[in-house]
Amino acid sequence: MTRVILWLLGGVLLGGIIHILVILTLPMLADETTWSRVSAFEAKNRMLILPAVEAGQPNPLGLDPELVYGLCQVDLDEGPAYLRGMLPDAFWSLALFNEAGAVIYSTTNRDGIGQTVDLGIFNADQTRLLAQQQLDIEEGLLVVEAPADQLFALVRLSPPHGVMSSRFAERLAAIQCGPRR
Amino acid sequence: MRFVLLLLVSIAIALATGFGLSYYALTDGRLFGAAQIGPWISWPDLGSSAPNPYSRGHLTREAALQLGRAEGLKFVATTDSAGDALDLSCAYTLLGHVPVSSFWTLVAVDGEGVNLAAPGTDLALRSSEIARTNTGAMVIQVGKTLAPGNWLELAGSGAFSLELTLYDTTAFSGFGSDNDTMPTITRGACA
Repeated sequence: MTRVILWLLGGVLLGGIIHILVILTLPMLADETTWSRVSAFEAKNRMLILPAVEAGQPNPLGLDPELVYGLCQVDLDEGPAYLRGMLPDAFWSLALFNEAGAVIYSTTNRDGIGQTVDLGIFNADQTRLLAQQQLDIEEGLLVVEAPADQLFALVRLSPPHGVMSSRFAERLAAIQCGPRR
Repeated sequence: MRFVLLLLVSIAIALATGFGLSYYALTDGRLFGAAQIGPWISWPDLGSSAPNPYSRGHLTREAALQLGRAEGLKFVATTDSAGDALDLSCAYTLLGHVPVSSFWTLVAVDGEGVNLAAPGTDLALRSSEIARTNTGAMVIQVGKTLAPGNWLELAGSGAFSLELTLYDTTAFSGFGSDNDTMPTITRGACA
């Protein structure tokens, strides 16, 4: 009887190891990721407005139909990336994602930023140059240090009413995104 | 013979435990990083810069654009408050309050994330558009049958889930003991 219990416990123990392996390796094994879905939009260094959600249609990115989404992919290997512009007076938020689809930084206009988007994204080396004052930035720039070079920025903008969506989308599309030119 | 039998049983237990636990952890996940308030489930760690391994697995599985922690939180309900699966053949009533937030939206989706709003209606209900009771509580009717007051009109058949997204919220931030509250979901008549 003891031997049978030991075999069963061994099975449970092995199951625990399988479970840990599955959880830890899943992110590496996935074919379709947030990054691959976002890359299909070709939004490198430009603010692209994502298509609106429609009833009965797939919504793989899990977008909220009430919001307007602006997407921009950046590569800090090309230099620091900047997001600049003005947004309408309504709720908006900004998130930076890494290749794993994790949010490395996020903020909203409720954090005292108001309507102005003025964000500089720097990797570790560029942040060091910034600290040594070897990179010129304008006063008021919100500096974000990113742990990786490949990133994408997502701006969520909330029009108070549906009829304002197209006008809000135009304003969001006018946000400059990418390295300084 | 006995050895082979014990080995096979042991392997079967290992596979069932390993993969079953993994599936549970990445779907329901209440014991593994998901937080539950009534029938509503949220993954608060999804929006952090270094999510735990379970949240990272869930994030990979969904491959969606998650909300950053500063942006808000999404709550998903697949059952009513009694624990029965939400079904489009039934009408439901949402009653109660949500944690402090700038605004929230409510949508109904199927298992593939397809929006189930009836043709010609709004795809979502928004906090600024609804009428409330004198106590400030929300009362929202959800389903295919005509309902008075705030009504999220749906179309289709089969199981569905409700997604309540809170933007700029204090949920799970220790803002107050009565802050982490979500509306109850009560099943009404079924066709």
